[in-house]
Amino acid sequence: MKKVLVVDDNASNLMLEKDLLEVAGFEAFGAENAAGGIAIAMKEKPDIIIMDVRLPDMRGTDAARILRREKETSDIPIVFVTASVMAGGIEEIKNITNSGFIGKPINTRTFAKEISQFIK
Amino acid sequence: MYADKTAAKSQEYSDSIINTVREPLIVLDQDLRVVTVSRSFYEVFKVEPGDTVGQLIYDLGNKQWNIPKLRELLETILPQKTAFDNYVVEHDFTTIGRRIMLLNARQIQRVLGKKRIILLAIEDITERREIENGLEKTRKELEVIKKSADEASEFAESVINTVREPLISLDQDLRVVSVSRSFYEVFKVKPEETVGHLIYDLGNKQWDIPKLRELLETILPQKTTFDNYEVEHDFAGIGRRVMLLNARQIQRVLGKERTILLAIEDITERREIETGLEKAHEELKALAAELKRTARAKSEFLANMSHELRTPLNSINGFSEVLYDETFGPLNEKQKQYVNNVLTSGKHLLLLINQILDMAKVESGKMKLTLSDVSMKTLLNDISMLVADMVSKKKIEMQLEIAADLPNIQADELKVKEIIYNLVSNAVKFTPEGGKIGMRAKNIGSEIEVVVWDTGIGIAAENMGKIFEGFFRVDTPYSRVTEGTGLGLPLSKKLVELHGGKLSVESKGLNQGTLVRFTLPIISNSEDQNEKSPSG
Repeated sequence: MKKVLVVDDNASNLMLEKDLLEVAGFEAFGAENAAGGIAIAMKEKPDIIIMDVRLPDMRGTDAARILRREKETSDIPIVFVTASVMAGGIEEIKNITNSGFIGKPINTRTFAKEISQFIK
Repeated sequence: MYADKTAAKSQEYSDSIINTVREPLIVLDQDLRVVTVSRSFYEVFKVEPGDTVGQLIYDLGNKQWNIPKLRELLETILPQKTAFDNYVVEHDFTTIGRRIMLLNARQIQRVLGKKRIILLAIEDITERREIENGLEKTRKELEVIKKSADEASEFAESVINTVREPLISLDQDLRVVSVSRSFYEVFKVKPEETVGHLIYDLGNKQWDIPKLRELLETILPQKTTFDNYEVEHDFAGIGRRVMLLNARQIQRVLGKERTILLAIEDITERREIETGLEKAHEELKALAAELKRTARAKSEFLANMSHELRTPLNSINGFSEVLYDETFGPLNEKQKQYVNNVLTSGKHLLLLINQILDMAKVESGKMKLTLSDVSMKTLLNDISMLVADMVSKKKIEMQLEIAADLPNIQADELKVKEIIYNLVSNAVKFTPEGGKIGMRAKNIGSEIEVVVWDTGIGIAAENMGKIFEGFFRVDTPYSRVTEGTGLGLPLSKKLVELHGGKLSVESKGLNQGTLVRFTLPIISNSEDQNEKSPSG
């Protein structure tokens, strides 16, 4: 069973994404802030991380940079699922290696499949 | 003998008189022959005594003295008058040139003997006349000079009175000699209160201006001229004025007095305009900065708004979609219908957000096209299939006429799809059941023309101007509020124009149907701008 970590500060969205991925057969972990997300990532070493960009303690991209520096998490694909779909938001995640982008609102019918494609 | 002696003595005496006077004298007998001449006669007329005494006066100096006017004097006038004064004779002498002579003649009856003698005094006034003529000429020249001086002064006076700029001339004691008419007008003073007065005393001592004193008493005596000396002063009669003073100190040629000419330019209005301009310029700069800030704030606001609206929409649409799909268990028919309504509204809201953002992007010039080779045939067929469901639900007939030779074009495929989808969905929306809609596409020169038409409600003439404004929607029984955003048409027009094409709308009026015609260039002339398009 593949492990997925979802980091989103909006509880509803966190639940939606987790539920969709669990239905698709993932073991899903959730965190509502970057620090919690990083801690879980280090512990669980998920196959993929779903990361919101605007988080209460730091930006998702900063959290991603921290994860890239740690040996245990440096190779985990990170998919930014964000409502920041305008040019600036997209530009921000460009420099994170092994990452993807899905704009909100998500398509619930294709979400799990899109996420799976980022796992090698 | 005694008498003879006396006579001889008398003769000697008169000879010496004759020889002493500077004026040439000649004594003639009654036959007009020369008895004696004075020494000066020889000198003046360059004749020798041997050629003179005993000769007829007319024969003197090779008959040079045969002068008609002299003949008249001696032969006609003198016999009757015995004396003649200041008889002017002008004659051209061979030896001494043209002379003017003044003749004074006396006819004397000699006491002894009955003979008469004529005493002729000849005054050469040639030089005197020349001097007189010269003097006359000089006098006339002086007159001319005086006249021109008067004219010059008159000219200067008229200049002073003609110039718009107030002028004032002062004597060395700074008393007003004269002022221009404009001075009275500008400074509201009367001539009788002005001329002869000390400049500082003018208009109830209003002119006692420290800076003017400085100019006239300190600067001018050293410099003789002064240009653009700015003085600001509060006049009782005319208020605060800013003046530009130009001064010249003139040394009069005659007399040693100096005159000060002071030109006063009132630059109050000009200064106000300048100050106003400067202020306006500052305001404009502030406004430009403000606009820049506003534009940045608008951008930030839109980015924030987009983010903040998408976040709850993610839940609304996501959960209702999952419910509708019955992923976690079946719904009854009513529940399914309700959750579908939530989903439809959520999707409408999302469309609205996207179109508003697109409008803002186009308007701020931030909308970029991602050009590729687009098959219009495929694209039009795709759209007709996309709307087929919607069309058949409303029992509308759809006609598709695509020219066989319709070329591919260079365009942003997603944007072109959006344009045509907007137009076709409008056509469906605004056409009642049983109506017709259609798409036509053909090649016209370097462009393709796409027409989307319908037999629907049309557009009233008075609404033609409003349809591109955004959020304008014609209220009809066929259109419900949730069905559109009112941004589809204006956004489509902007996207067409971004490609270098044109979009226009035609309608013969209400219930006469609508036809939207747009063109797109086959080869794009807009630069290939690669937008970072989101993947997935």
